[in-house]
Parts: sequence; C-alpha cells; structure tokens
Amino acid sequence: MALSEEDRANLAAYLDGELDDETAQTLEAKLNLDPEARAEADELKQAWSMLDFLPKVEPSPSFTHRTMERLAIHRKVETAPMPVSQRFSWFVPMTWAAAVLLAVGVGYGGSFWLLPPAPPRSHADPQDEQLVRYLPVIERLRAYEQVEDIDFLRSLDQPELFGDDSGS
Amino acid sequence: MAQLCDEAAVATTGESSTQLALRDPDVRLMLRVRDDDESAFAELVELYHHRLVTVMHHLIGNADEAEDLAQEVFLRVFRGRKKYHPRAKFSTWLFTIANNLALNALRTRQRKPVIPLNVRDSGPLGPRPAEQLVRDPKGQPVHRMQQQELAAVVQQALETLNERQRVAVVLNKFEDMNYAEIAEVMELSTKAVKSLLSRARENLRQVLKGYIYMDSQPNDNGVQE
Repeated sequence: MALSEEDRANLAAYLDGELDDETAQTLEAKLNLDPEARAEADELKQAWSMLDFLPKVEPSPSFTHRTMERLAIHRKVETAPMPVSQRFSWFVPMTWAAAVLLAVGVGYGGSFWLLPPAPPRSHADPQDEQLVRYLPVIERLRAYEQVEDIDFLRSLDQPELFGDDSGS
Repeated sequence: MAQLCDEAAVATTGESSTQLALRDPDVRLMLRVRDDDESAFAELVELYHHRLVTVMHHLIGNADEAEDLAQEVFLRVFRGRKKYHPRAKFSTWLFTIANNLALNALRTRQRKPVIPLNVRDSGPLGPRPAEQLVRDPKGQPVHRMQQQELAAVVQQALETLNERQRVAVVLNKFEDMNYAEIAEVMELSTKAVKSLLSRARENLRQVLKGYIYMDSQPNDNGVQE
C-alpha cells in the first residue's frame, strides 16, 4: 500500500512524535507493510540526522563583555538630554511656513494696495502703458525697498504723526 | 524592588507573571532587567548567548554575522524591557525576537548575496579533498575529510530551504522545540509549522539523498525514534 499525500505530509510529524496516537498507529501500520514507504521514512530520518554534521559553534569568549559594552553606549544615548535643536525641531519648519505665507500675503496684498487699477485700453505703446501704470511704484521704489512688510507700510499712514503726503 | 515589579506585573497581566517567575527563573531575571538591573541582563546574556549564536550561525552560515545578530537580539531585549510582560517562557520571547531578526537578515542576503572571503566562513573547504589526500599520504584524514565535506554539504542543503523552513528546522533540531513552541516563536499555527517541517525535511532528503549512507548503514528496523 503506497503512502498517500496526507501520509507523506504526516511522516515528518510521525518521526517527531507530534501525531496523535490514532494517526500515528495508522501510519505505522502502513509503514510496516510497505518496504518502500519504510525506506522513505528511513531516508527522512537519516537526512535529519545529518544535521549533526554541522560544525559545532563556539561564540567568542568576549561575547558577553562586548555586549555589555554596546549596552553601555546605548544607555549613554538613551539617557543623554535631548539637544535644543531636537526639542524645538518643529519650530524651524513652522517658521519657514509662516515666512512663505507672509511673503505671499505681502505680494498679494501689496499688489492691490500699491498698484493702481489698470487704465482703460488705449492705442498707446504697451511699454509706455506699463511705465504709466507702475509710475507711482517707480517714483517711490527707493523707499519701498526699505519696507519689509505691508503692516509696517500701513503703520506709516498716520497723518497726525507724519503729515499728509497725498499731494506729493 | 523585584517584588514590587512582580506585584505590578500581576496587577497588569492578571495572574500568571508570579507563577511564571516561579516556574521560569529567566522570567524572574527579565523582570529585574525591566527594573534596569544590568547585572540581571548580563546573566541572561551569559545564559543564552551560546544557544543564540548557534541558532544564528546555522541560519546565516557566517560566524561573525551570527554574533552580531545575537548581540542585536540582546540589545532589543534590553530596549524592550519596559514593555516586557511575561506571558510565556522567557526563551520563547527571546527566540521570537531572534526569529524576526534572522528572517530580515536572510531576506536582505537574498537581495544582496554575500560572498564569503574568509575560508572559515564558507565552511571547512580549505584544501580540496584530492589535495588533502596527497598531503596526508597515510590516509588518516579521510574520515575527517568526509566529515568536513559532509558538514559543507549539509550547510548547503540547509541553504536550499526557504527562510521559514530553515528557521523551523533549526529550532526543532537544535533548540528541541516542539511544534507548538515553534508556532509561538514564529507566530504561526501549529498546522503551518507541521507543513513547513514536512516540506523542509522532504527537501533535505532529496538534496542529501546521495550522502545519506556515507557514514552509516541503512536501517531496516522500526523507524520511529
């Protein structure tokens, strides 16, 4: 009686003593009746025994000492106070994000506040049109270069402090 | 302090940590490690490093890497000490960590094959058998040569198994773990372990067929050990 697939799957477990009694007895009966099956089981057993030929392993004598040394280094890292840069690591990207938003806001808001509305279409030279359009900015460019943000600019618009410049 | 830890563990796990500590002295040691007792940790390293290095060596096939991996296992044990809750034998937990590290290492090796430069690491393959015979005309090393050859052949046979089969084989053979224990370490069902070992042993039989009777005679008696 040849071994079934299930029998073959059980063979290793049988050799390891991991089958329940009933299944083990059934398989053992088949093995006793079938020399080929018995030879196959024996080959499985012998191949397993050959693992004993693997070289014996001896860890280095300093293994424990080296492990404790690594542990000491790990402990130093574990208990060291966190550098300020790490503690506030969220601060830098947040600052950059705020600066970008501010720059966008200044550019956008400034274009409404500083630039006059576009003049009606004319047949004038486009370059001339551009000059006319941006003349107020060009005339005050030197002053605007000193301004860092729009709020600062707005804060200068206080006639009671700085006089009225609307005419100039 | 150790008693306080035990009581705290009882409160957390329900009941078994004190019982486990009584049954498994290594669990008691680990509870001390949880309390930052480094001498307890050194004791655990001393107790387990031989077994761990052996397992890693048979899995990886490289002595230096095996020691590095074994060290890493211990360091992970230490790093994870505050979260340690004894639910099983300490060795089960230890080898679970070892299993994860070993599988990662084996998978990395598959992606980046390592060519051993050290003759020792490639197995005792120094002089080829014919050359050794010429060097030793008395013929004494034949038996030793056979053993060395067989060692290399068996190591290569082990390397034909996939990672999980290899781990299951090494744990069963060299750690004497039964299927249930292997299942716990590898986080598989017992049925899956049975299937792994069945295929692994069949693969080994096929690869080692030509060498099986080199050192012994076939056995025609009852086959169960």
